[in-house]
Amino acid sequence: MKSRSRSRRRNSHEQTYQARILKEKLFLGLTPSAYLAQALRNPFNWILAVIYTVGLPILIGRFIFGLGWVTHSSYDYPWGLFLGWGLFTMVPLSASGFMMGTTVELFGRDDFKPIERLGLLNGLLGYLFAVVFLQVDLGQPWRLIYPMFVSLGPAAVLFLVAWHVATYLSCQVAELVPAFAEWMGMPRTKKFVKSMVLGLTVAGIILSTLHQGALGALFTYAPGKVHPLWYSAPFQWFHFICSAVFAGLSMLIVVSTITKWSMRWRCDNEFLGSLDRLTLGIAKGAALALITYLAIKIIAIAHDNDWRYLVTGWGQWFILEISVGVLAPLVLFTMAIRNNSAKIARVAAFIAVFGIVLNRLNTALITFNWNLYQEMPHWREVVIVVTIYSTYIVVYRAVLARLPILFRWKE
Amino acid sequence: MRFTRGKSSIILIGALGVLAVAGNGFSGTGPDAVVLDSLAELYEPVQFNHAMHVELAEGKCAKCHHHTTGAAPLEPRCLACHKGGIDGGVYACRDCHPLKRFEADYLASLTANPQLYHNDKPGLKGALHRNCLGCHVDNGGPSGCKDCHPRNAKGDAAFRAEVVAPPAGHKSGGH
Amino acid sequence: MKNFNRRNFLKGGLATGLAAVATTSPRPAAASGSFGGYPNSMGVLVDFTRCVGCRSCEAACNKEQGLPAPDKPFDDLSVYEERENGQQRRTSEKAYTVVNRYDKTDRKSGPVFRKFQCNHCNEPACLTSCFVNAYTKTPEGAVVYNPKVCVGCRTCMIACPFYVPAYSYSSVTNPVIKKCIMCYDTRLKFGRPPACVESCPQEVMTFGHRADLINLGHERIRNNPGKYVDHIYGEREVGGTAWMYMSDVPFEQLGFNTSLGNEPIISYVKEFLTIVPMVLTIWPALFTGFHLLANRKKAAGDDEKPEQKQEEKQS
Repeated sequence: MKSRSRSRRRNSHEQTYQARILKEKLFLGLTPSAYLAQALRNPFNWILAVIYTVGLPILIGRFIFGLGWVTHSSYDYPWGLFLGWGLFTMVPLSASGFMMGTTVELFGRDDFKPIERLGLLNGLLGYLFAVVFLQVDLGQPWRLIYPMFVSLGPAAVLFLVAWHVATYLSCQVAELVPAFAEWMGMPRTKKFVKSMVLGLTVAGIILSTLHQGALGALFTYAPGKVHPLWYSAPFQWFHFICSAVFAGLSMLIVVSTITKWSMRWRCDNEFLGSLDRLTLGIAKGAALALITYLAIKIIAIAHDNDWRYLVTGWGQWFILEISVGVLAPLVLFTMAIRNNSAKIARVAAFIAVFGIVLNRLNTALITFNWNLYQEMPHWREVVIVVTIYSTYIVVYRAVLARLPILFRWKE
Repeated sequence: MRFTRGKSSIILIGALGVLAVAGNGFSGTGPDAVVLDSLAELYEPVQFNHAMHVELAEGKCAKCHHHTTGAAPLEPRCLACHKGGIDGGVYACRDCHPLKRFEADYLASLTANPQLYHNDKPGLKGALHRNCLGCHVDNGGPSGCKDCHPRNAKGDAAFRAEVVAPPAGHKSGGH
Repeated sequence: MKNFNRRNFLKGGLATGLAAVATTSPRPAAASGSFGGYPNSMGVLVDFTRCVGCRSCEAACNKEQGLPAPDKPFDDLSVYEERENGQQRRTSEKAYTVVNRYDKTDRKSGPVFRKFQCNHCNEPACLTSCFVNAYTKTPEGAVVYNPKVCVGCRTCMIACPFYVPAYSYSSVTNPVIKKCIMCYDTRLKFGRPPACVESCPQEVMTFGHRADLINLGHERIRNNPGKYVDHIYGEREVGGTAWMYMSDVPFEQLGFNTSLGNEPIISYVKEFLTIVPMVLTIWPALFTGFHLLANRKKAAGDDEKPEQKQEEKQS
């Protein structure tokens, strides 16, 4: 009799422990009903509800009815928004992973530690959802591993992209394992991964340089199709990696600003107190990348002698993109650094992110086939992109609320 | 009358034509009618009225038969070699223009002899169409496919005649 | 620098080394130049002075390749009026070859008709851009495609300068690329000409060894002074193509892209491809060097003797 009641007590102890973990980790210490209540109070969640009501059936429909149902089935424009936004735009904006890893672990700038994990998370989630977008776009997504294990075409640029994104994702997951291990209470796992951090960081920067560049090199396959002002056979890869540097850094500033506003309750004083200083530090890196990018852009135009295109309609569009996407952030970042104003740096970062979006969409969709006709994406394509991007935000928010990214885990 | 197994050949009907061979020079007007049925798979045979064409050509056999009937060719650049016309001894189109123009052995024969000048000679189908249609178009003769040889049932199937065109505005170009 | 002992250096080096090995692609020597095609490969010379637009070639291709029924019968010439987005017809998942009519050309006597299909390039852009090696340039000259490995990334459609490959978006479970394969499986492998070539009543297309066709084409131009534009399109464009064209009017008037240049498309990508091994080999040393540089003060501090540190603490 005694042993039975003791084991019963032990079982109920375990059950409460598990329930407590669930409550603490998943529901942030609230009861499920309290958690739901606060979720329903949040107006952002109402917008999400609308997005999912419309978008989820269409996303599922893509896999039931095929690509022909959600795109214009264009042979002239084989790539649409799934890749134009999901891959070509989201990947450079996720370059903060290797930037922060390199800054802290390689360059030894421990003063950036408070924002390092946010940079790593931004990187991981961006790449993860880029893969989601890719799976939605591929004609036969179940064959994703073919270029790795079934039939290899190693001379193709996309081969490099596939291998690197896969390897780099693993790198980024590993780099965030310490945060996950702290959250779940797995100290030995954390120690094990931390011993590899230098190798992971060096691998990360190699892989990032190459696949960010490779995404640009993909367009070198189409010399007549991308407008000359956005195309450069020798420099395209460099344009993409260099702009990825300030894209990732600017996105990090943008994300940290948004979290400061909307998730202030989750940030600890160390994070909030150092954020302005860190923003200015990041701004310096972004400014350097911007001026380098501008220089190589001008050199690329000179190299191909494309000056005459500047006076055409497309040329004006190009000048607009450079002015808004490169010159404006460059000037503003410089002003911010000189005047020690994190606020101006944040404005610059938002504009820079917009500029990256514009540049990638220009290269992949808008100036693509500039000699043919313009193509508008199918409305279902837009809906799916919005739905998946919303999911990215939801996951982002969920992780930030739980894992020690914006705060230090107290043992 | 020669038949090749499974394939069609040109049947010369009207043995009335005097076909003087053996170096005497061609001195007849050929057959009155010829049935061209090398296209019998998809089309009805062509009932070719040779006699009428002889009249239309006003005796100039070279208009269709180049130099092979012995008359001087009409094109100036051919005169360089075929000054007075050389009677080849054979006069039917298929005697010089092969039915299977692109089979491997015929292609090999073109490059085997480096002295061969006429290595760009069309096959029978191309020769008949290219030689005939020019004059037909200029002189108001039949120039549509079905004007000379209507399609048989297999031909209709090959051209997908059973398809009904969709209404206007339908996107089909593939863009 | 913390933890810079042998073990961690090896771990880091191994990680990057593996990354290098896994992703370095075997590449031909930089100075090897273009391919130029297999020596005895076949080709087709297309002569637009002969084409009358009868579309027998389209019908023959449809039958030979088992393509679905077209929207209009093949003797319906109203297809020449069709425009989509201002463009004339192009190859699609249902049509591996199309004929288009061009009214506004230098030819006074009437319209020019142009047959268009995969050009079976010597160094195809589709082949070089495919990351699952789905395309093969056969020794016979045809560029063929293996639908069993295709993932559906559609990079080949981006790369092809002639806008040839089409994708069967309508299929849910097995969408694949659709394009002319020069009747490789049913004819070319056995030394026979493609169906369209055989079907043409005007013998617009001449089939033969590519090298012979180039000679033949130039002879034809020479023997007919003033008749042809003195150029065989595809002889050198994008590294040379198996299907080549002759015309009596300038090629731009027939929708040909005459600004493609003679370099195969892969040449535009080679500059990036040479960067890849450089980054893979230089970056590890470079960034480990940065790391050492960044931690030089700390490393210097570790060299101090413990007594010295104690002294500094006390004073």
